[in-house]
Amino acid sequence: MTQSTLSSSVSRPRPGENTWTWLLKVATGPLLLLVLALHFTVNHYLGSTSSGLMTYEDVIRYFQNPLIVAIEILFLVTVVTHSLLGFHGILLDMHPPRSLLVLSTWLHVIIGVSAVAYGIWLALTIASLGT
Amino acid sequence: MDITRNQPSARRFWSWFIPFRRDIGSWAFALNRATAIGLTIYLFLHLIILGKLAQGPGAYDQFLELTENPFIKFGEWLVVAAAILHGLNGIRIILTTLGVGITRQKQLFFGLMAIALVVILIFTARMY
Amino acid sequence: MSEMWKITLRVHRQKEGEAPHFDNFTMEVNPDEYVIDAVERAWAFHDRTVCFRHACHHSTCGACGMRVNGVEKLTCITLMRDVTSNGATLRVEPLRNFPVVSDLAVDMGHFYRKMERVGARAVLPVSEAEIENPPGEWPPQDAQYIRLSDCIECGLCISACPVMATTPEYLGPAPLAAAQDNGIRRKPELLSVVDCEDGVWRCHSVFECTAVCPSFVDPARRIMDLRRQVVGARLRNLFGKA
Repeated sequence: MTQSTLSSSVSRPRPGENTWTWLLKVATGPLLLLVLALHFTVNHYLGSTSSGLMTYEDVIRYFQNPLIVAIEILFLVTVVTHSLLGFHGILLDMHPPRSLLVLSTWLHVIIGVSAVAYGIWLALTIASLGT
Repeated sequence: MDITRNQPSARRFWSWFIPFRRDIGSWAFALNRATAIGLTIYLFLHLIILGKLAQGPGAYDQFLELTENPFIKFGEWLVVAAAILHGLNGIRIILTTLGVGITRQKQLFFGLMAIALVVILIFTARMY
Repeated sequence: MSEMWKITLRVHRQKEGEAPHFDNFTMEVNPDEYVIDAVERAWAFHDRTVCFRHACHHSTCGACGMRVNGVEKLTCITLMRDVTSNGATLRVEPLRNFPVVSDLAVDMGHFYRKMERVGARAVLPVSEAEIENPPGEWPPQDAQYIRLSDCIECGLCISACPVMATTPEYLGPAPLAAAQDNGIRRKPELLSVVDCEDGVWRCHSVFECTAVCPSFVDPARRIMDLRRQVVGARLRNLFGKA
């Protein structure tokens, strides 16, 4: 009889990913595409020289508009969420041991929250540099 | 007998990126996964570098000089190309999940990649 | 006089206590024969220890799935002329992602248990089968008929799926297609089985399963439909409707 190294957890589904995390990943994708297009166009094609934000002063001036600050923060939240959910999905594709998965999930959450917090701080700091 | 050979294993993740002799979907998957990993690494580097803005004009403008380096410029080109390819492939995934174009998913992929190529060419012309 | 080709059949060999290797068998084949015929010829006239699985020889049993030149094929319906040429080498290997029992035969047990877990139906009423141009309403005298399920559980999709390569616990294309065939509304207990990290969300729209399926199951399309069923069920549960 062939001895299989495969586990027999067919009847014990693991909750590492579900409808809601997948929907979040799929919703943030197209949203960030739109915001990315805006972000990229402004950064590289608009402005007084039509070459985008070329100097420190250009960036500071750009961040004086509160709508811009809001859009950049939205961009940050969507791209961090989408990329970390995707990265987590890649790890799930390798079916890690439960303990490693729990550690990784927490790391992703900590990195995500930290990145968003740092980004919001940075956006508000840059906006305040122009006053 | 070593019956662990030929069985699924996390160590075989490299096979995701070697889709030779496979159908076009495997190439799309390899492209999507490679661009995903590259873009994630770039994202966090980008966030860290932007911290220079908070250090004042000297630090940021010094960094801007670095971006004129041809290797850095090529890296930036790679990032934008990756974002376009990953984004349009993602649209294919959303459409097929909704059942749109599922019987024509290969044509959908080729069509979206053609759009991606055009956008990348336009962007390249502007960049260089 | 029918055309004959001279080919080298390169067969994956793996017996207990031996390292996996390939054996080459030079033989004459009719290009309109099937790959399984060449494998049988290697067993019958060259080496009686070649081990492989085959039964019906007409794509109903699903036993003869192998990798032919690296691509999953049902060898009883794969013509020699479609995969090789006169004077060429034809490589046959066991399906990926299954333990090898011997040479070209693999252990399908874990896969069959997954099919059982989702309640895969071997036969189903014609009124529930996805057939071309079904009548709007089945007349009573026809609705009584049952039909074999399209899926012959050959395992080609499991072998071709890149996610199956890295996780044995992913349900996989055929079990997910079988779950879709049952339907979440018809069998609500399947929701927790497929709405998990080893269920529908491990699929990354590669479509290799559909590309290699010899039996028109179209597992990828069914997985996409199953996703919609799962999302619909979760939203209904969220808003308190049964």
